[in-house]
Amino acid sequence: MVRRNSRARIGIGLLGWRLLVLCLLSCSMPGTAQDPPSARQVLDRYCVTCHNQRLKTGGLELDAADLSKIPQRQELWEKIATKLRSGTMPPPGSPRPDRATYNATASWLEAKLDEVPPFAGRPVLHRLNRAEYANAIRDLLDLRVDVNALLPPDDSAFGFDNISEMLGVSPALQERYLSAALKVAALAVGDPAQAATSQTWRVRQDLSQDQHVEGLPLGTVGGISVLYNFPLDGRYRFQAKLYRTNLNIMRGLQTAHQVEFSIDGHRVQLVSIGGPKDLAALFSAPTETGDAVDARLQTEVAVPAGPHTIGLAFLQNSQFAEPTRLQPFERSSVDNFDWAGHPHLQTLTVTGPFHQTGPGDTPSRKRIFSCRPASSASEEACARQIVTSLLKHAYREQPSSADIARTMSFYFPARKTGDFDRGIQAALERILASPKFLFRSEREPAGLGPGAIYAVSDTELASRLSFFLWSSIPDDRLLLLAAQGKLHDRVTFDAEVRRMLADPRADALVANFAGQWLQLRNLQNFQPNTDLFPDFDDNLRQSFRHETELFFQSVIQEDRSVLDLMTADYTFVNERLAKHYGIPGVYGSQFRRVTVKDEARRGLLGQGSILALTSHAERTSPVVRGKWILENLLGLQVPPPPANVPPLKEKQDGEKPRTMREQMAEHRTNAVCAACHKTLDPIGFAMENFNAVGSWRALDAGQPIDASGELGDGTKVKGVVELRQALLSRPENFVRTFTEKLLIYALGRGLDTRDMSQVRSIVRNAAQDNYRFSSLILGVAQSTPFRMSTASQVQQE
Amino acid sequence: MMFAIRKSIARRTVLRGLGSTIALPLLDAMFPSLTPIAKAAARPRKRFGAVYFPNGAIMQQFTPKSFGADFEFTPILKPFEPYKNNLLVVTNLTRSHPGSQVGDHAVSAAGFLTGVWPKRTEAEDVFANTTIDQVVAKQIGQETPLPSLELATEDFSGYVGGCSPGFSCAYMNTISWSTPKTPLPMETNPRAVFERLFGEPGTSEQRRLRLEKQRSILDSLADDAKDLERQLGPRDRGRLADYLDNLREIERRIQQVESRNVAETATPDAPIGTPDNFDDHVGLMFDLAAAAFQADATRVFTFMMSRELSQRTYPQIGVTEQHHSVSHHLNNPQKMAQMVKINTYYATLYAKFLEKLRSTPDGDGSILDHSLLVYGAGMGDSNGHASDPLPVVLIGGGTGRGARHVQLPVRTPVGNLWRNVAEAFGASVDQFGDSTGKTDVLA
Repeated sequence: MVRRNSRARIGIGLLGWRLLVLCLLSCSMPGTAQDPPSARQVLDRYCVTCHNQRLKTGGLELDAADLSKIPQRQELWEKIATKLRSGTMPPPGSPRPDRATYNATASWLEAKLDEVPPFAGRPVLHRLNRAEYANAIRDLLDLRVDVNALLPPDDSAFGFDNISEMLGVSPALQERYLSAALKVAALAVGDPAQAATSQTWRVRQDLSQDQHVEGLPLGTVGGISVLYNFPLDGRYRFQAKLYRTNLNIMRGLQTAHQVEFSIDGHRVQLVSIGGPKDLAALFSAPTETGDAVDARLQTEVAVPAGPHTIGLAFLQNSQFAEPTRLQPFERSSVDNFDWAGHPHLQTLTVTGPFHQTGPGDTPSRKRIFSCRPASSASEEACARQIVTSLLKHAYREQPSSADIARTMSFYFPARKTGDFDRGIQAALERILASPKFLFRSEREPAGLGPGAIYAVSDTELASRLSFFLWSSIPDDRLLLLAAQGKLHDRVTFDAEVRRMLADPRADALVANFAGQWLQLRNLQNFQPNTDLFPDFDDNLRQSFRHETELFFQSVIQEDRSVLDLMTADYTFVNERLAKHYGIPGVYGSQFRRVTVKDEARRGLLGQGSILALTSHAERTSPVVRGKWILENLLGLQVPPPPANVPPLKEKQDGEKPRTMREQMAEHRTNAVCAACHKTLDPIGFAMENFNAVGSWRALDAGQPIDASGELGDGTKVKGVVELRQALLSRPENFVRTFTEKLLIYALGRGLDTRDMSQVRSIVRNAAQDNYRFSSLILGVAQSTPFRMSTASQVQQE
Repeated sequence: MMFAIRKSIARRTVLRGLGSTIALPLLDAMFPSLTPIAKAAARPRKRFGAVYFPNGAIMQQFTPKSFGADFEFTPILKPFEPYKNNLLVVTNLTRSHPGSQVGDHAVSAAGFLTGVWPKRTEAEDVFANTTIDQVVAKQIGQETPLPSLELATEDFSGYVGGCSPGFSCAYMNTISWSTPKTPLPMETNPRAVFERLFGEPGTSEQRRLRLEKQRSILDSLADDAKDLERQLGPRDRGRLADYLDNLREIERRIQQVESRNVAETATPDAPIGTPDNFDDHVGLMFDLAAAAFQADATRVFTFMMSRELSQRTYPQIGVTEQHHSVSHHLNNPQKMAQMVKINTYYATLYAKFLEKLRSTPDGDGSILDHSLLVYGAGMGDSNGHASDPLPVVLIGGGTGRGARHVQLPVRTPVGNLWRNVAEAFGASVDQFGDSTGKTDVLA
């Protein structure tokens, strides 16, 4: 790493942090870059009272600072610029220059800082992470693999798991990549020696199975729909198992039900379960009866090789009536001892192939076998053609003759002992195991001075682009433009970025960028207390995530302003979610776009996903919500709580329940805590009308919600609508944070002070296009760190 | 092809001295003929394990009141009473502590087996210490296909915002480090563990072919790496050098497997995936560790039963509030009782594993007789994130005779114990993390 030791991230002290927040929330300072002759005077008059050589407040000696050498002390001045841009300094109560002078000084300083030589940085050898590997296999071989089963999890830093520093190697990791290469090659080519294996899908216990599941045939309820790659043409066994209560009694047998197995939507088997006979047996021998019913829930079918959707669901039963309950819940599986109600699928297992009849005609075989040898004489030429094409895509550049020879040396012996396909399979194994496939490497040209900045090659640029926008390898067009040396041309480059954004592969930005920036991936671990939230089920959890993903996707596809993420008057819901939000007239499991009439529900702050993942299992957490907003929307690092903080007092027996606000007030009587919580809590309080699962509520602990608060600077807000307005009173702060996150994700590294001028410039340019999504993506893609690289310092580490 | 046994162990020397080249594991029948010296060298410390539980413990219900040999088992330790023939409770250990409390959960996980306070960073420059399991693995792990096995139950890939502020998630995702800069990823998928231990399921011929294939690929990958190396900067070359070292390590492993008769190795049934039930998942991971010991696929393992800050609930034992929330019990008796339930529950799950090892014959005794197993945490009382005293209990023949409760001087660095453990396995370590000396609990 270049100049690692000098690297300092932008940090703001505890006190400054609080002040900074005040202004980020509400100060408004449009600036024009005028050269104030009096920068020195401004500093002398308003800053050096505290920041002088004698007092050294905050370690700053501004009386001694040389204003003609700002670029030389970038780290220091970037910090000061941050304070000014956010209006943090001078602290409230101290004299300030008039707004015009203040803004002019800030702009002048930023302009000076932007004069520093551009900085590029340098990613270290980057191992493909899980998402990149899965997408690369998809694009290389037209094959979707279950990457979580193939590869171990990746470590993350700076909020993302594509940080090159963290993508290191270990024997265990490399072993997994090696065994993945063999498995993937066998599956892609259709190795007839693939033994019968089984794969099991589990349905989460908290999935309600009394309603239709998206992707399954209409007229069914519950069950599961999965896409599975059948390795070969052959026969496969399907086995379902149903849930049983904690006393091992199978659920849902008191009424007759029919269970449907389907493949690609076509019924392959219908099994009857339940009814008087099963019910009678259930009481005399619960375990045996359950086992006997499970034994009926199997079938064996011939399936052609390739990807097919397997479905298992219960036919809707018009005679079925939910047993009378005092309080029916949305979640059908809330009671672990309840054997009445609907049957629930627990697992679905596919085992096979048996009696395999060949590799079939799969999409991946079509992709791989671009030629078929007409005779044994033409075999080698055809193999060479296949290998060359695979190498080009896998290695993301034109393969060398050594690459081809090395790979062919795996083809020949395998062809000798097996057939042509086995030869290709052996070559593919070798390609997928290669460090040239598994690492994103960039050449460092010889003869550069240490720290010199240079443009990366077009080939490398193609990879940077495709991994940024698609989390995958470049396609033919990108590789061609790179090979022709045309990619770096600005017009071509911009057109390519737009083409790639419009491509379905850009959904990777939703899954990997938004999923991590907004922490949507954490939702799967959110498990609210069942006693308090008996309606919460996996259907709602999945809907939360799906809503925000569709919402983010719409901003990309319609090229909207990223500010719409906060303010849009539309969202996406299905029946379950609409019911949760109180939106009438939405039926069915399918998601559709609706207009959001309730202002409180607009944008991310009104979405169940964000509201739930910032809550505890039993209650909301104004602190976590406040922190989430500051860190993810305003780009502020919230310092960890100091040592020995007394936690909130629990309610004692017989005591009157207290509202969250009452409990927190107690917390804030401690001066040490109050320093931060005074700023954190009001943000969370304003959102208190949303409970821990994102439902609207008017009461907390029996008392009306008080969603009013005073943000640190005295701005009074009441409720989430006013909070959102306050947060967006300076939209640049939100956009800057979005840009910083996007840049981290695009570069695969953390940012430091030397990157700040780039961030400023991207935001400034995007402002002219109303912060459209494409303007920020283009800004990042055109930035110096994205297109350039910094040469290593000589011999270090 | 590179193939190196870096360390040799005493037993091998003994066997060679006897003119024997018998492959492991030893046949029961061999033992009577061995000399007493051979016996002494071959046991009781043949295997090492370290099992970690998160979010601290209620120490009053963990630490026995009396010391020495005849202490009374506390509620949390009660599940271990059947193993009191070889059991050692060590009190007053502390993990390294910077003076202020930051990132305690990360530091607990990363500080326990390392004996250091890990470097505060969220990024690339993670730095802790080589852990005791890896020190032991370097000593006794080279003759088995896997020098060590790292297990966990929670897959936190892609989980962000859930780690301690200021500390990389890497610190909480593992308790095992092969070098101060290299956290070892822990495997959570039982199926993947199975395949690492025993290879993919299949006939012996299929498995032999697969090994051969892997070996020929590995042999040729170095050429690709050399192509890359020529074009890379120094930092990239460093990572590539690690990559090449690792290739050799994998080759060594494959050679180990090939050198046994693959067809003869009995393997348990391959698990289908990751159970969603905690009991089953933990049980399966322990079963795999036991199977690994039994098949001599590895002699060292670490297992993080659950992750620090875990928000799991345990309705099966009547704890519906999350583990981490309960751990901040505010000295509320009801909450503390819940926490004791959780601590005892973990001990019960671990005791099932001990039982399995005790009932598996190994040479002249059981696998448990020939093991030294650490069970503990990097956090004491969880309410205030105490860094001492830590809950630590050692079980297995490697601890010596009988049940003992040893009281060390207050705030004895945990590194002192690891030095003792290292020496018990024949490794000489002058300093272990922040150690100030060496305990003598393992004489």
